Amino acid sequence: MRYDRKKDISPKYLLLALTIICVAFMIISFFAGDKIAFIKRYTNMVVSPIQQGINKIGIWTDSKLENLKEIEALNKENEELQKEIDEYKEQITIYQNKMAELEELRALYDLDESYPDYNKTAAHVFAKDSTSWFSIFYIDKGTDDGMFVGANVMCHDGLAGIIIECYDDYSKVRAVIDDNSNISAKIMPSNALCTVEGNLNTYQDGVLVVKNIDKDAKISVGDKVVTSHISERFHQGITVGYISEITYDTNNLTITATITPAVDFNNISDVLVITDKK
Amino acid sequence: MRRVLTLAVLIIINFTLQSTIFGFHDINCITPNLLLILTMSFGLMRGRKEGLLVGFFSGFMVDCFMSNIMGPFMFLYMIIGYINGFFHKNYMIEDVLLPLIVIIVDDIAFNFMVYIIYFLLHRRLELSDYFLNIMIPEALITALLTVIIYKFYVACNRHLKEKSRGKEAK
Repeated sequence: MRYDRKKDISPKYLLLALTIICVAFMIISFFAGDKIAFIKRYTNMVVSPIQQGINKIGIWTDSKLENLKEIEALNKENEELQKEIDEYKEQITIYQNKMAELEELRALYDLDESYPDYNKTAAHVFAKDSTSWFSIFYIDKGTDDGMFVGANVMCHDGLAGIIIECYDDYSKVRAVIDDNSNISAKIMPSNALCTVEGNLNTYQDGVLVVKNIDKDAKISVGDKVVTSHISERFHQGITVGYISEITYDTNNLTITATITPAVDFNNISDVLVITDKK
Repeated sequence: MRRVLTLAVLIIINFTLQSTIFGFHDINCITPNLLLILTMSFGLMRGRKEGLLVGFFSGFMVDCFMSNIMGPFMFLYMIIGYINGFFHKNYMIEDVLLPLIVIIVDDIAFNFMVYIIYFLLHRRLELSDYFLNIMIPEALITALLTVIIYKFYVACNRHLKEKSRGKEAK
């Protein structure tokens, strides 16, 4: 800004003058504060109403802000509650799962009652063979829980398989439907001995093959096939399946039958392991 | 006259805002130095004299309400306004960087002086604490507000200029 020397005071002199005023103010207020208190009072009178007004605005905005904050807080609370609800939902699903498990275990317990002479331990299936219809699965109990290679594994009311590998805290179970599975069994009530062979190809149709049935055995569709007393690895009397079809072999000496396994191998989660050694 | 009135109103508004709204919720919160922005803006836009005067009266207001001794803030604001007036030569309307730099330096210098006067002389020697917890945040928030408010002051100044020119033309 250009200033007119004649009209205006030079900023330097103004500065000097105002500095002197400042210093004077300081000195006066320091030594005789009461004397200039009126300046404060009058400026106060002018400004304080504005301040009060602004303060009111401030309070108003503050209350609004408080409202906003409350909204935020409520939102937060809502979120938290939502989270809690989610948690509860999760818990509910867990409980539902547990209920299902309980029912399953109860079913197993019924089974347990029907085979009272074997000591059994329940175990969970935690892994399956990666194929859709697995023939090998893993259970969460191992040698620490008394498992051993060759222990019979049951599911629901039938034979599921046999432990083929046993580790500290998990075991590998080969299901009866595995191609390598070969069970010595007998057909009730005729007591005809037979061999149940696992066969995944036939299992595609939902059946297992039973071979070496004596041609004179009086068997019919619907008969129960259980593990036999002559088996080396399987305890006797465990249900394997029910006969669904009977065909006479061409050698005219034996009958081959197909059985429907008692265990649904597509949906297997809890099993019982017989801890007695044969 | 219009300019004087406008400036007076601006000073009062800024002072009241600074003393109420920005310190409303928390007494110890960092308050942006609105009066310093005002002083700086007019010192920059109008030169030493106006910066000096705006600073003087801003400081007067502050002194009247805040300190028991009249003078220190007056002097501080005045000096800052005066020094900022030297940058009037470099002033450009569109330039935002210059006022931003100037306000940060101003604010830190201002607070440093306040620290010396009110704290160092009272044997409060923890400069780094004050620096980190008060000076830097205040400088930043003031600089932030400068970006917004400075534009308004520039428009205000332009408006006043046009009015006075119109008067002269008449």
